[in-house]
Amino acid sequence: MGKAIVITSGKGGVGKTTTTANLGTALAMQGKKVCLIDLDLGLRNLDVVLGLDNRIIYTIVDVAEKRAKLHQALIKDKRFDNKLFLLAAAQNTDKSALEPEEVEAIVRELKPEFDYILLDCPAGIEQGFMNAVVGADQAIVVSTPELPAVRDADRVVGLLEKFDLEEPPMLVISRIRKHMVKNGDMLDVDEITHHLGIKLIGIVFDDDEVISSTNKGEPIALNDKNIAAQCFRNIARRMEGQTVPLLTMEEEKKQGFFTRIGAWFKRS
Amino acid sequence: MGAVVLKGRKDGYELILKADASIESIIVELKELLDNLQRDENLKKDTQFTFQLNTGMRLLSSEEKKQFEKLFSEYSHFSIYKTVSDVVNRQDAYDFMDKHNVHVNAATIRNGQVVTITGDVLFLGYVHQGGILRVTGNIYILGDVAGIVHAGFEDNSTAIIAGKIGNAQQVRIGDLVDIMEEIDIAIPDHTVVYVNDLHKLSYTKVDELKSIRPKLFVGVGGF
Repeated sequence: MGKAIVITSGKGGVGKTTTTANLGTALAMQGKKVCLIDLDLGLRNLDVVLGLDNRIIYTIVDVAEKRAKLHQALIKDKRFDNKLFLLAAAQNTDKSALEPEEVEAIVRELKPEFDYILLDCPAGIEQGFMNAVVGADQAIVVSTPELPAVRDADRVVGLLEKFDLEEPPMLVISRIRKHMVKNGDMLDVDEITHHLGIKLIGIVFDDDEVISSTNKGEPIALNDKNIAAQCFRNIARRMEGQTVPLLTMEEEKKQGFFTRIGAWFKRS
Repeated sequence: MGAVVLKGRKDGYELILKADASIESIIVELKELLDNLQRDENLKKDTQFTFQLNTGMRLLSSEEKKQFEKLFSEYSHFSIYKTVSDVVNRQDAYDFMDKHNVHVNAATIRNGQVVTITGDVLFLGYVHQGGILRVTGNIYILGDVAGIVHAGFEDNSTAIIAGKIGNAQQVRIGDLVDIMEEIDIAIPDHTVVYVNDLHKLSYTKVDELKSIRPKLFVGVGGF
């Protein structure tokens, strides 16, 4: 039986879809069978982030309204051998086109076949949010280290607690800029975690490559060397129950040639 | 016979309606009693006589109350001024308990959440920014408040708030609101907020509480 996890934030633009795509990718790379469901009806973009937008035939609304079978609507990501699937959102309807029971039924049908079902929640706390949460067993709340995002995350955690999920919500802090945190211009990770009072499952550093790879339709998690990719892979490993320490805030100084030589002669 | 007993009291007359007699027999007997009284020549005809109805271990329904009122309206100088009983409704009892208890609360009230409590509250939890703790009575704070605390909701201006409120966004009592950012004075951790005689929120030390609201302490602990 798989786990259904909703990825939500309240505020828009904090990286829900990026997180969903990359956690899905990272889990698939670990050999897990993953299904991503885009619930942002009307404004879908998970398909674009994954580079699967050309291959959508049926959407979740088609499934809910019985125009298509569930397995017909699942889009396979060919980069992963039968491991990663997407159920796309419809574009020409609004959030009220789906009922919570319909989403629940779809998730229930997917659970036996998959290890993870990740639900990409739309911004806001209206019907779209309700749809995404009723199907889930667990929740991941994404926030950036900015006050408005943390405030909205707080609101969402409050709402999630009412839903009686199997486990308390987990926190991902995304778009951390090392140098700003170091200078004290950005909220501290510990501060946010303590304030929200939920378990931190990972942090993701801000990186230009996230944007460029999104534009290419390749989730950054596929990139071996990238720091943000490493962050996402670490979160995926923690979801699997492994203990992985958080990446440090310290910026590795790129030392010049002569400084390094000089260091050999320095008295210790 | 014996379903209705008339008793003289310091403050008037009491009619005890026995709880084991049926309402019908009580009405009949009461009518007889009132008729006799009216015929009594010693009775001063120009004074009004008011009676307290005591229903004992029975609660009258509104229908039954109307029956009694109708019966009394037939006599020009007899009337009911009060109906009492030895028992109360279960719900009324719970409400009473709620209202007169100090509830210990350790909730985390997050942004956008409103927690409303009847009675007094000893608060041990967190109120995050944007959260509201709303209480009909007093609030005693031992937890952390970064949001809004509202005592005496909706219009009880005798309520007080005691504890650490320096980090709150707003403090409200009854219909009054203070935005903490706009308050110039330093607010120590052990502060009492109350509504003063000018109907303004006022801040003082906890030890002043005894002189501001002496009634708060009556009935607890004895002498």
